[in-house]
Amino acid sequence: MRWNGSPVLPGSWFVRVVWVALLSFGASLPVSAADLLPADRPVAEVIDHYIDATLAKAKITAAPSANDENLVRRVMLDLVGRIPTPVERREFVDSKATDKLPQLVDRLLKSPEFVDHQVNEFDWMLMQGSGNLRDYLTTAFREGRTWEQMFRELLLADEVDPKAKPPIDFVKTRVKDLDRLTNDVSSLFFGVNISCAQCHDHPLAKDWKQDHFYGLKSFVSRTYENGGFIGEKDYGLVSYLTPKGEQRQAKLMFLSGKLIDEPEKAEPDNKAKKAEQDELKKRADKKEPPPKPSFSRRAKLVEVALQPEERHFLARSIVNRIWARLIGYGLVMPVDQMHSGNPASHPELLDWLARDMAHSHFDLGRLMRGIVLSRTYARSSRWESSARPDAALFAVAQVRPLTPYQYGAALKLATTDPDMWKTLKSADDVAKRASDTARAGRSWASLFQPVSDNFQVSVSESLMMANDTRVMSEFLGDGGNQLVGRLKAIDNAEQQVECAVSTVLGRLPEAEERQAITGYLLSRKDRSIDALRQVVWSLITGSEFRFNY
Amino acid sequence: MSNTSLNRRAFLGTTAAAVTAYAADMTGLNVLSQPALAAELKKKDKRVILLWLAGGASQLETFDPKPGRPTGGPYRAIQTAVPGVEISELMPKMATRMKQTAIIRSLNTKIADHGGGATMMHLGRRDEPSVRFPDLGAVVARELGSADSKVPDYVSFYTQTEGRGSGTAQTGGFLGARFAPMYLTDKSTPPYLSRVESITDIDHQQRAELRDLLSKRFARAHETQSVGSHNQAYARVRGLMSSEKLFDIEQEPQSIRDKYGPTQFAQQALVARRLIEAGTPFVKVSRAWWDSHGENFETHLELVTELDHVMSTLIDDLKDRGLLESTLIVTLSEFGRTPRINQGLGRDHFASAWSTSLTGCGVNGGSVYGKSDADGNTVADGEIGASRLFSTIYQAIGIDPYKEYHVGPRPVPLVDNHADPVYEVLV
Repeated sequence: MRWNGSPVLPGSWFVRVVWVALLSFGASLPVSAADLLPADRPVAEVIDHYIDATLAKAKITAAPSANDENLVRRVMLDLVGRIPTPVERREFVDSKATDKLPQLVDRLLKSPEFVDHQVNEFDWMLMQGSGNLRDYLTTAFREGRTWEQMFRELLLADEVDPKAKPPIDFVKTRVKDLDRLTNDVSSLFFGVNISCAQCHDHPLAKDWKQDHFYGLKSFVSRTYENGGFIGEKDYGLVSYLTPKGEQRQAKLMFLSGKLIDEPEKAEPDNKAKKAEQDELKKRADKKEPPPKPSFSRRAKLVEVALQPEERHFLARSIVNRIWARLIGYGLVMPVDQMHSGNPASHPELLDWLARDMAHSHFDLGRLMRGIVLSRTYARSSRWESSARPDAALFAVAQVRPLTPYQYGAALKLATTDPDMWKTLKSADDVAKRASDTARAGRSWASLFQPVSDNFQVSVSESLMMANDTRVMSEFLGDGGNQLVGRLKAIDNAEQQVECAVSTVLGRLPEAEERQAITGYLLSRKDRSIDALRQVVWSLITGSEFRFNY
Repeated sequence: MSNTSLNRRAFLGTTAAAVTAYAADMTGLNVLSQPALAAELKKKDKRVILLWLAGGASQLETFDPKPGRPTGGPYRAIQTAVPGVEISELMPKMATRMKQTAIIRSLNTKIADHGGGATMMHLGRRDEPSVRFPDLGAVVARELGSADSKVPDYVSFYTQTEGRGSGTAQTGGFLGARFAPMYLTDKSTPPYLSRVESITDIDHQQRAELRDLLSKRFARAHETQSVGSHNQAYARVRGLMSSEKLFDIEQEPQSIRDKYGPTQFAQQALVARRLIEAGTPFVKVSRAWWDSHGENFETHLELVTELDHVMSTLIDDLKDRGLLESTLIVTLSEFGRTPRINQGLGRDHFASAWSTSLTGCGVNGGSVYGKSDADGNTVADGEIGASRLFSTIYQAIGIDPYKEYHVGPRPVPLVDNHADPVYEVLV
């Protein structure tokens, strides 16, 4: 067997870039507001309007809606990071209320588990496992802070709560490598990976010149760490070499090309610099923060990025990132390549959502709610008749790998005795217990592959799941509160199959599955408990369980 | 991936003429998925063993001695089997085998800290925050391995001292986790290759078959690359488990084990040979810790002597088995060591003029490329960086060094800046 196609996702983006290079340069510039749907339309309706229009043009019939069992699993994985318990699933599926989905979504958005899950997601997005912002993000999401606030605090706030790690750790973990800090700020907040432009003008995007990279770097180049605190100098300029070897001095310039005026400040002489060093050392010894600059370029960056003319960078980027997370494929892909050479698949939709984001002062919950209530989000992921349509059409739901946290949580929840939940008194009790169970499962997260573009499962996961004794004891034990324990108390193979499949996969088994699993169990009557463990193993290691579909 | 190829077809059908300018890129791209060419590479069965000298081995005590110079240190240079080529007297065994080995004495790689240097010499380029580059092993596994291989295609013995190596290597970089190495830190087998006792072999197998049946139902309606990789990872479990004995040198005749000797480095080299023989395209074996800031000469007496023995035994063993022609041995560090001898009789980090060697597959044995100056302070002739070394390695094992991958719209050449191979050390 040979490789199946290229591993590096060349096709659709590449094609799109060429396409764009030929036909539509400049198409990613914001569309004029007058051409967009009115601002007061519901978010979900606007999404479906634009997505459907493209599908109609492409003459593609979208997949039907996912069924309730599928939908409740998807929504809960996306909003609270775990699969539903059998009780929660039953309640949703059985409800006859026409607004049961909005009800569920609104309840989830207010739940503590929503906070936990957003912390996991944003911490990974912002830190990728090197350092963490969990303390800060927990506070921020618990208090419902907007992305605008978070952006400001991540770049500027050195102390929010004296007992907690501050948001400025975002800067602190990167301050030793200012090129990285520049690029991470640009890519995470503005959707623009400009590292290409570090050494030469961007080859694919006419928007990005070296001036942009060093212009943006100028905003953070005076930032330093002293005694565990982040400080900023009053002086210092960035210069760089062009590919032709010409030395240039960077201007203080935002990505939009906007130049910033700042007070003149001469470079201090050596004596003054020495005095400054001594002062810093003294402060470090006393564990005091360094003195504030008279003019903070970093604060200026935040201010400029939030101005009406510039804030579309921040808005479009967060819209695209949240969209990509919830839908499985961004309106612009890759999410850090938002430039005129790589326009959105649905430019008006992106612009409408970005405008809505800015108008709502960057309310993340509002966007998430709008997306998960759209028909686009709710489509089935099944597509069998022909090759799957281009992901950028959003004709069918994407299949997304569970994040390590989601998979760990799901493993623990799915292998818990399904009848236990029925003994709990209230829906709140169920949610509370489910949250604790999910948290226990998340301790497995470090063993699984983080989600990335071009995600692949490695053999280290399959070998571990196949041959690690901890998997046996943690997920396949036959104790009183575990799934296998419940199954062994059932005396009929058919019912065992039904219980196992519906507990792990959240749906009833189909005929072929019933037959295969029942046969498996019946041929192992001499070792029936082992057989049950093996059945559960085959379900929790299966693709249907491993993915959010 | 089917949607991708469909798009490309549709696209090419309408605007083929317009994309001529991009044809070069498209070719680079399609090489990946052209079965004919891939099969051609496969036929050749080229392999790589990387002998990684973690911490930075001294070029002066190995392949670029400077006897009699102020920087030379106490060791002499000795004549090798190749007239005119001398190496350190600490390598007498290699001296007699020099006809199979090429030396490059003109590396200037600029990065002289352990982390940065090691990353650079694993990636063949400076790391960048924006792209998760695959390392040498991942690229070789990708290019020379086969998708359903029953043996691991990238095995990395790392040492506790050096750590697990560059961060990107752990995930296969943008090539994906399929090409991440199987890590081992001592001479035991990788984790989870053996079945736990509580399940019988037949149940272990049939459980996997049940899993496969259930998963395939899902995969049929969800044909995506990620889902495919999931099922492929499980499909490889049983095969990989059967490769467990490759890690067991007890399976080797005593006479062979005696030749390699008892050190961990030697035994891992023997495991590497067993893996290579069974079809693993890339094995990294590490020896630490060469970082001789003090007592450089004592450290190197011990480590170079061992290297000399292990490397020459490995060469002989591969040759005896007819594997040397298809196996490239790369002996490499993150950097070399300063010609200047410090007060503690040590040598410090030095990336400006250091050496590496290539042996076996595709190599013009006995050749020496590049020159350092009389004291070894700078490159006097033939300066190359990591990219040209990697280009040379790829060329030696039949991988087109000018090939490109694509990460999103961005073309990423296998070799940074499309650097040329050093043809002088190749046949």
